Amino acid sequence: MNWKATQNPDGGWAYSRGCSWTEPTVLVLLAQSAIGFDSDCFAAGAKYLRSLEGPDGGWRPQSGVAESTWVTSLVGLLPPVVVGAPRHSRALAWLKDQTGRETSWSFKLRQRLNGSREEFPDGWPWFPGASAWVVPTSLAVLAFERELRIRPDSELSARVAAGKRFLLSHMCADGGWNYGAGRALGVDGDSYPETTGVALLALRGENVGRPIAAAKKHLAACRSAEGLAWLKMGLAAHGQSPQIALEPVCRTNTDRALWAMAQAPVNPLLRP
Amino acid sequence: MNFNQPTRRQALAAGIAATTLTACSRTPRHFPVGKVTIAKAPAYSMDVYDTVFRIVEQHRLDVRGKRIVLKPNLVEYDAHTAINTHPLVVHAAFEAFRKLGAASVTIAEGPGHRRGTLDLADAAGYFSTVPNFENLFTDLNADAVAKRAIRSPESKLESLYLPHTVLNCDLLVSLPKMKTHHWAGATLAMKNLFGVVPGGVYGWPKNVLHWAGIPECIVDLHHLFPRQFAIVDGIVGMEGNGPIQGTPKAAGVLVAGSDVAAVDATCCRIMGLNPARIDYLRIARGEDNLGESAFEQLGEPIASVKTVFDLMDVWKPARA
Repeated sequence: MNWKATQNPDGGWAYSRGCSWTEPTVLVLLAQSAIGFDSDCFAAGAKYLRSLEGPDGGWRPQSGVAESTWVTSLVGLLPPVVVGAPRHSRALAWLKDQTGRETSWSFKLRQRLNGSREEFPDGWPWFPGASAWVVPTSLAVLAFERELRIRPDSELSARVAAGKRFLLSHMCADGGWNYGAGRALGVDGDSYPETTGVALLALRGENVGRPIAAAKKHLAACRSAEGLAWLKMGLAAHGQSPQIALEPVCRTNTDRALWAMAQAPVNPLLRP
Repeated sequence: MNFNQPTRRQALAAGIAATTLTACSRTPRHFPVGKVTIAKAPAYSMDVYDTVFRIVEQHRLDVRGKRIVLKPNLVEYDAHTAINTHPLVVHAAFEAFRKLGAASVTIAEGPGHRRGTLDLADAAGYFSTVPNFENLFTDLNADAVAKRAIRSPESKLESLYLPHTVLNCDLLVSLPKMKTHHWAGATLAMKNLFGVVPGGVYGWPKNVLHWAGIPECIVDLHHLFPRQFAIVDGIVGMEGNGPIQGTPKAAGVLVAGSDVAAVDATCCRIMGLNPARIDYLRIARGEDNLGESAFEQLGEPIASVKTVFDLMDVWKPARA
């Protein structure tokens, strides 16, 4: 894989073309760490990433954005040496402070005043101040589990457990996951391949028979590289070895990186 | 999810207070009379190219040498239902603006629902219908962004990051599908602009817009883009539980104009909805400026194309 050919002069990678973003840059670095890397290209990518650390310790999604967002969990999935151990710790600390707005104290208070007793497990939002959703919650769970493989931390363990409860409570009726609510206005929503795959990966070690069946069903129909890569990684995390007949078309840097990670002998998202 | 409930309650409370306080001094808002074209288009055939060209020509848009961005509604991996704007309508608009001398015509979208935008466009038939599609297309979820302040916001937002591609164009052409919408009542040209908000910053879906108030954000986005044109794909729309899980509904029309709120109000009438009961239209124009006489109707009369769309129970009070 010639990652250098699609690398921007600032050292980062675009999703497809144009300016660099944190997400594709992290995914390319993770893919390189799994299947072999060009040291200059990798170092330039790491340097670009370090430039996107926010003053609050979180990570900005690209240089034009001031706020730290969900991409901080992706930085948490990198080996600490890539951005430096202190920065990596700050990223995890920022992530620990993030929850979906529906679990904020002000929202809970308003719910109570409205007579609602509904409880929401803590998940993670895409953007601070919004609701928790399946993908950022899954990635934050994976980032914290990575850290827990290195050092025990009761707070991180509690957030991981709550994150997994969040995912299980947001499962669609068909056993998979979509981006958020499995049901809206009394109508069941359909699950998607990519979200089912990433949630399955985050639920490694849990008893998830129905989601595995849903993932296998998606695998048979899915054509996108993103969907197939997440499904393959999600199923592999539960001891399944799915065969994919046709290699998907990889149109973007994220497609190429995710597909490379899905082919790697050891998933870089699950390594210490 | 009941994310818009507090906003509605707050809006209602604020509305009552405002009405009480200003009852004696209320000044009615006035808008210029917008022109809206209704064109019959019974099928996705080659005739659509001619129909779209005639519509654009009729509105005498100053597009020569200008940068045009076409913004379709791409939602789901599906070429066979009525979820996405049909690629033939998008290609017809592309050809029309090119023929009229535009310097560049870009197709751009930032789906709020699925992340693989190019795969989504492929599955929706865009690659096979629009030659060289990949080079003409910009994924607004992944474009460079700049922060824009929202002056006098209707929503709780004070600013939004927006993609360079839409900020730097001379004319933004909204190409939505004519659909009912479970949260907003109807999703047409104004609601279609949710797709310019970058998912790469705000996520999938763009949930900050939900918390800030869906109808209010629709209006704020509308105001952020003063140079717009809209062509609504109502050849086959969607009724019931739109914008994704509804049922295809053939209305056989294209509805177009530069006054995008007027286009949306006209579409509502065609669909059998009272535009004054659609929150974002009422906020954008005021109830007094949504009557049929507020707009100049070109082409077919509404009555000749009216196709009553089925509504979810929660939206039945909005029936015209």
